[in-house]
Amino acid sequence: MGSGAVASLLLADSRFPAGSYAHSLGLEQAVAEGLDANGVAAFIGARMRLVATADAALGVAARRAARDRSAQRLAELDAEHAARCPSPVLRDIARRLGSQLLRSAATAWPCETIERYRAMSTSTPRPVALGVVGRAAGLSDLDVATVALYDDAATVASAALKLLGLDPALTARWIADLGPELAGAARRVAFDPRPVAQQPPPAAIGLELAASRHADREERLFAS
Amino acid sequence: MPARALRIGIGGPVGSGKSSLIAALCRELAGEIAVGVVTNDIYTTEDAEFLRAEGVLEPERIVAVRTGCCPHTAIRDDITINLEAVEELERDADPLELVLVESGGDNLTAIFSPALADVQIFVIDVAGGDDIPRKGGPGIARADLLVINKTDLAPHVGSDVERMLADATERRGDLPVHALTLAAPPFAQPVSQWIREQLAQYVQAGGHLHSSASGAPDDHHRHPHKH
Repeated sequence: MGSGAVASLLLADSRFPAGSYAHSLGLEQAVAEGLDANGVAAFIGARMRLVATADAALGVAARRAARDRSAQRLAELDAEHAARCPSPVLRDIARRLGSQLLRSAATAWPCETIERYRAMSTSTPRPVALGVVGRAAGLSDLDVATVALYDDAATVASAALKLLGLDPALTARWIADLGPELAGAARRVAFDPRPVAQQPPPAAIGLELAASRHADREERLFAS
Repeated sequence: MPARALRIGIGGPVGSGKSSLIAALCRELAGEIAVGVVTNDIYTTEDAEFLRAEGVLEPERIVAVRTGCCPHTAIRDDITINLEAVEELERDADPLELVLVESGGDNLTAIFSPALADVQIFVIDVAGGDDIPRKGGPGIARADLLVINKTDLAPHVGSDVERMLADATERRGDLPVHALTLAAPPFAQPVSQWIREQLAQYVQAGGHLHSSASGAPDDHHRHPHKH
């Protein structure tokens, strides 16, 4: 394992204080609209192939922009995220999660890289913030992509335990089974030679629309 | 003046009367101190709605955050959601002097991180059983103020308030305990007076208060305290 391995584990650990425990990433609304335990693994896989891959690509690009100290490219990536995320509800969620990640990372890896981005960005979307933090913590492009994809899947799996009556070892198996595909997706994202703007934006319109229905609900456990 | 408002965490088990206490405190303090409230609801936004319905604060001074089934995580292990909410409240409302953070009801081990709350109040009630102070735990033993609520119910539920006070004092050493009911005078007055004193100390010290909940467990027994 490389030098960023411990930092990768720390960032992927739900004990790292970045607020993701309050989010189901759309699973709560999907369950409310009929998804049962048998469908959660497919839900996680769909997220991985669509929005999580797009987010991971933004993270990789942000790591490179932070490495090159390019405030302009980071600002462009903030805009690229907004362009790929038409739902104002999800943009707001991404801003909050990014801000929370940057807050704790600024203490864990104190450095100018994080402080500069915190000072310049008003939207702090989490995918971009993760790339900046990845640079500060010594992650490679592949590490950033892997953490982005893993964290998305694990956040949904963790929420599933609270929303559906499940064996916690079973949700761990979902992630384990996803491992080879997730690793392949991370490699494709990390070594994609195209700039983010030229990569296809794999949207998940169903999730975008469901996010607004979720936000309108009175009774819910999760912030998303 | 301190750079930000004094932050007081209010924790305790479900149903012990945290929201009612906060409503009473706002009623007593809002005329003299600029107060904001962050609630951590479990499933609905009932706590925030209750406070808004009480009309003790302008609605924009009350914000609710969701904690995904993890009320203790939100005040101790990962406080980023609450920190963001407190800072947004401080930014959006007029200059605030005091922010009350209400924990979602939890168990006896739930205690606020000192990075979120400068000082904290733990609220229990007589109806939860008069053996709770004896059982102890971080909230009972180390909160800066322990409130034993609903004393008017004690004869009806077979609880011995004097025993609860004695057990709590044994657990807490010099740290203060107040037994009270919000149904009769002096209502929340002992708590609001304690808050005034905390705020005065906080302002005088330029934005610093030492909490008995900071540091290693029972650390507070080893050095002198000013309360």
